[in-house]
Amino acid sequence: MSVGRLEALPPGGEGLEFLDLGGEIAARSPLQLFWMRFRQDRLALASFAFIVLLIVVAVAAPLVVEVLGLPGPNVQNLNLTDSFGSPLGPSLAHPFGVDQLGQDVMSRVIYGARVSLEVAIIGTGMASVIGVVIGMLAGFYPGWVDTLLSRTIDAFLSIPILLLGLGIGAACAVKGCVGGTIQPGLGVIIFLIAIATWPYMARLVRGLVLSLREHEFVDASRALGASDMRIMFREILPNLTAPIIVYASLQIPFNILFEATLSYLGVGIRPPTASWGQMIASATPIFNTAWWYMTFPGLALLFTVLAFNLLGDGLRDALSPRAA
Amino acid sequence: MTGYIIRRILWGVALLVIICAATFVLFRIFPTGNPAVLRAGRDPQPKEIAEIERVLGLNKPLIVQFWDYLKSVLLHFDFGYSYYSDESVRGLIGERLEATASLTIGAAVLWFIGGLGVGIVSALRRHSLLDRAAMGTALVLISAPEFWLGLIALFLFSSDIGRWKVFPGAGSYVPITSDPWKWFTSLIMPWFVLAAGGAAVYARLMRGSLIEVMGEDYIRTARAKGLEERRVTRQGVRASINPIVTLLALETGALLGGAVVVETVFNIPGVGLLAYQSITHSDFAVVQGTVLLAAMFIIVANIVVDIAYAYLDPRVRYS
Amino acid sequence: MTSIRIVAAISLASALALALAGCGSSSSSPSVGSGTSVVSTGGFQSPLTQSLTAGKRGGTLVVLNETEFEHLDPGIAYYNIDYEVVDVTQRALYSYKPNTTTEATPDMASGPPEIAADNRTITIHIREGIHFSPPVDREVTSEDVAYAIERGANPDVANAYFHSYFDSVEGGPKAEGGPIKGIQTPNKHTIVFHLTEPKAQIVADALVLPLSAAVPKEYAEKFDKNKPSNYADYQVATGPYMLKNNSEGKVLGVGYIPGKSATLVRNPNWNPKTDFRPAYLNEILIKIGGTTTVIGRQVLEGTDMVQNEAPNQASVRLAAEKFKSQLEISPGAGTHYIAVNNKVGPFSNIDLRKALWAALDRAAMDKARGGELVTNVMTHFLYPTIPGFEQAGGLAGPKVDYNEHPEGDMAIAEKYIRLAGYAKGKYSGGQTLEVVGSRSSPAEQDAEVVNQTLKNLGFTTKFTLVEPSTMYSKYCGVPKEEIDVCPSVGWIADFADPQTVLNITFNGKFINPVESNNWGQVDDPTINAAMTAAESVTGTSARATAWAKIDDELVADAAAIPFDWDKQANIEGSGVDGVGDLWDSGEWDYDYSSLK
Repeated sequence: MSVGRLEALPPGGEGLEFLDLGGEIAARSPLQLFWMRFRQDRLALASFAFIVLLIVVAVAAPLVVEVLGLPGPNVQNLNLTDSFGSPLGPSLAHPFGVDQLGQDVMSRVIYGARVSLEVAIIGTGMASVIGVVIGMLAGFYPGWVDTLLSRTIDAFLSIPILLLGLGIGAACAVKGCVGGTIQPGLGVIIFLIAIATWPYMARLVRGLVLSLREHEFVDASRALGASDMRIMFREILPNLTAPIIVYASLQIPFNILFEATLSYLGVGIRPPTASWGQMIASATPIFNTAWWYMTFPGLALLFTVLAFNLLGDGLRDALSPRAA
Repeated sequence: MTGYIIRRILWGVALLVIICAATFVLFRIFPTGNPAVLRAGRDPQPKEIAEIERVLGLNKPLIVQFWDYLKSVLLHFDFGYSYYSDESVRGLIGERLEATASLTIGAAVLWFIGGLGVGIVSALRRHSLLDRAAMGTALVLISAPEFWLGLIALFLFSSDIGRWKVFPGAGSYVPITSDPWKWFTSLIMPWFVLAAGGAAVYARLMRGSLIEVMGEDYIRTARAKGLEERRVTRQGVRASINPIVTLLALETGALLGGAVVVETVFNIPGVGLLAYQSITHSDFAVVQGTVLLAAMFIIVANIVVDIAYAYLDPRVRYS
Repeated sequence: MTSIRIVAAISLASALALALAGCGSSSSSPSVGSGTSVVSTGGFQSPLTQSLTAGKRGGTLVVLNETEFEHLDPGIAYYNIDYEVVDVTQRALYSYKPNTTTEATPDMASGPPEIAADNRTITIHIREGIHFSPPVDREVTSEDVAYAIERGANPDVANAYFHSYFDSVEGGPKAEGGPIKGIQTPNKHTIVFHLTEPKAQIVADALVLPLSAAVPKEYAEKFDKNKPSNYADYQVATGPYMLKNNSEGKVLGVGYIPGKSATLVRNPNWNPKTDFRPAYLNEILIKIGGTTTVIGRQVLEGTDMVQNEAPNQASVRLAAEKFKSQLEISPGAGTHYIAVNNKVGPFSNIDLRKALWAALDRAAMDKARGGELVTNVMTHFLYPTIPGFEQAGGLAGPKVDYNEHPEGDMAIAEKYIRLAGYAKGKYSGGQTLEVVGSRSSPAEQDAEVVNQTLKNLGFTTKFTLVEPSTMYSKYCGVPKEEIDVCPSVGWIADFADPQTVLNITFNGKFINPVESNNWGQVDDPTINAAMTAAESVTGTSARATAWAKIDDELVADAAAIPFDWDKQANIEGSGVDGVGDLWDSGEWDYDYSSLK
């Protein structure tokens, strides 16, 4: 399945060992160094700004729509179709045209940002939390704990996630699953992202913890009588913040595309909620004549994912002394 | 070494059984419809449905069903029958394998060559306009949703409904044996769409990897010794190619399981499309078969890569 | 044995047929119906205006099918898609000619059905000289017709219509594929049905179904022993065409390649003297697969091809604008309506049902389906070309206030909501509605309009779109799931008798635990009783009146919310002289179509 390129990330976290884990004291703090380098990367800055703008627009969607003089995203108006029922194209009143129900496409594209961002942030957040916890445990406790958890990670990584997503999405379609705790729509998508992508984070964290475990500061802590929990979360975890953030920021574009694909295939976000992937699915039967309905949501996806990719690149470059 | 290989393969087989069991349970607990009802036609009497359930074995306990299934798979290579069309799952998948293989192998070749080529050129001409343009395009291609790229391609170039009628449109796939030229032209757009993202990733990776290698000491030494630039480059490429090859093996494994999205958009009768349709129809037997197939390819690819690594790096064998 | 009843039935049927067909074939205004209701076909050709006898012999017609066949076995065939093949390869006892839905022409039968005075016996004579196709070759006898119907009760065949229409045959309800007591064959060319109830009319009408097409027992029973039966893969034909087969009779892989194609060739044993069909074409090649957009274009821009299923909106538009002579519009292609849960939930209250009916913008929903060319606003449950349509109110429908405004009227809706006990004119009860629609264009657009209307009325909804088959088999057709609103249901008659439109969909006795077609769980005792009584009425006209009355009662009960009477568009290539079947949504009939 080709939904994105998570596999392109070095699985063991190679390339991220640059971090001065427990090493010498630098002349500037790592944070300052990071910011200095990041500031110089104009593309990364631009994408960061774009993302901030996107978040603002998503949060203030009703206001934005009103300011632009557009109808709401769910305002149906069949008068905006011709005598055969085909929707009308871009016009002054509707810059992105309308869909088969006469709903304004620009308005729906703006509201669609909400879905993509929610999915990205909540879904990735959950997957990261699960991945970090399991990766930490696997890396810290050698022996049967590690073996068990590693094998589990292995197993999850061998499942074709799109098919899994389709199956669960289809099954939870109307009434939800697990007694209603997983509601169809956004709930199912976030659940799917969490269970499908946590292994990648877990694998990364496990690798990093494995190498960190042997360092002196850990031994020192233990000598002082610190418990395992304390060592894991107070000593080791802070050193992993940078790679975790970089990895998470690279997972976000993947998750956005995953939701779009699931919605396109009909098991994701349901109408009338505007989701860019679902809009493209609705547009498919008529896309050769109603090009606007397919193009604008697609461009929105493209730019959003591109921005996150650039941001992720910028973060990684800024944290790494080996600038390309 | 043999010990490692055996252990790796055994774990792979175990994984396959685990995944088989997991999907079995999952798709029975979370079904999208009662397949017996789907088969029964209109206005079925409860008696008829019960009979169909009995015939399909749906009323036995889950464990028994799974055991029966496992036995028939391992002993007879029999994956059951589709509830929807009465054909054998093995036959259905077999028919469709050719299309998916054509699609994915072609795409893999394209992205390997494309990614490699663009990556090398970009690395050698670092920071030039060509480099920036290539990397920019690569980023865009990675960021675009595959299904959307496919639709745009059809919109622009499809010979039936596109703006410029260049390539055959959706649904025009034919097997290579019936019409090689039509087979080839009908796959050009799907290949590019499927390869686009992958080639872009490879290009970026290759570029990064090659730049890193070219900065190594031994390369500088080779240059200092007066070796031609071309041969120096070739040495560099050979050294930086490892992660790319690894990725190729892994991606192909995942792909062969079915490039669901591309097959759906271009209406290619492959395993991916079959999987999608059978999931929405609750056709358990077919779903089971396609998921197993996909998982098998992923696992095999992983095993191959792991063994290759073990061969190159003896330390791995003892993990 | 003749009796007054039969003569009366025939003359009434003929009169009706003449009244309907007569205005069509000679005049230039293609429309169906008489009196005040006229269903327009937009100036395009329709099944009523086409000539049945002016074709040229020869040639191969290429047909593009988007979807796969479901069941090609005449004993199982149920969906429209299967009729394409079954109609030209199998001869039922009675058939409709392409331009009528009220007059059944004796096909395998040699004359009309003889119904005894007590309404419990039907005698039919079989034509002589009809032979099965190779490799069976021999003459068809009444025993073959008996076997064809009896195998319908075999669970490995499981004909969907058997228990609906043949349970009144003695031995029918408990039949399992063996001989049925009530079906007798006194000689090789006579078949007699003995019924336990006076329902001879509906049984006789049901004999247009492919279930009555002869099947040779000695050849077929070995296939019928398989679970499920695979007779379809080895079937023989009695019609002008047959699926290509090999010398052992195998069709699968020869004349029918699943997912790829089906080839119909002339049946060498078909005797044109025994048949009223012209059968101009030499061969019909059906190609399976592709998307409807592409198929539409290919057909319209080509010469010798037709599209089998209804084309999508883009293709209809293209045809209507640029390929006018290649477009056919057929009225009476079924209905689309909204099933609301009459048993549990808010819509068990009749006033809330009326409110939804009043508020719904049916015109907008029809626009989303393609506009006036392919739709008519639906105002009651029988549809054009079904006997009883006119008596039930024709196009305008019963005059009740919630039916009067096809564009929706919120004032009337609010009035009914107040009557239901919500003083503010908007629903304020706590229940959330579960709405499950079909994820296929244009059904999904219509479902979204319904969803929005529900919200405008004050409801909170949980709205999902699923695959059509899943919608029916897992949600809307399963009473236990208690879905509140199913906006994407529809119906098309099994054959042109009003009972087949209203009974199984609105009679309380047909609420099944699974695969129920009474999606709204309509169960009104008065209406149930009226329907049960109407099942036994004889005579086309009397039946039409009886069921029209039931239609009116369903409207008064707001049992479901109607919105679309479909007209189907069908397209052909420029070199094709297509003839469509009125009883089959105008889809092309290869027995009558020809190449120019």
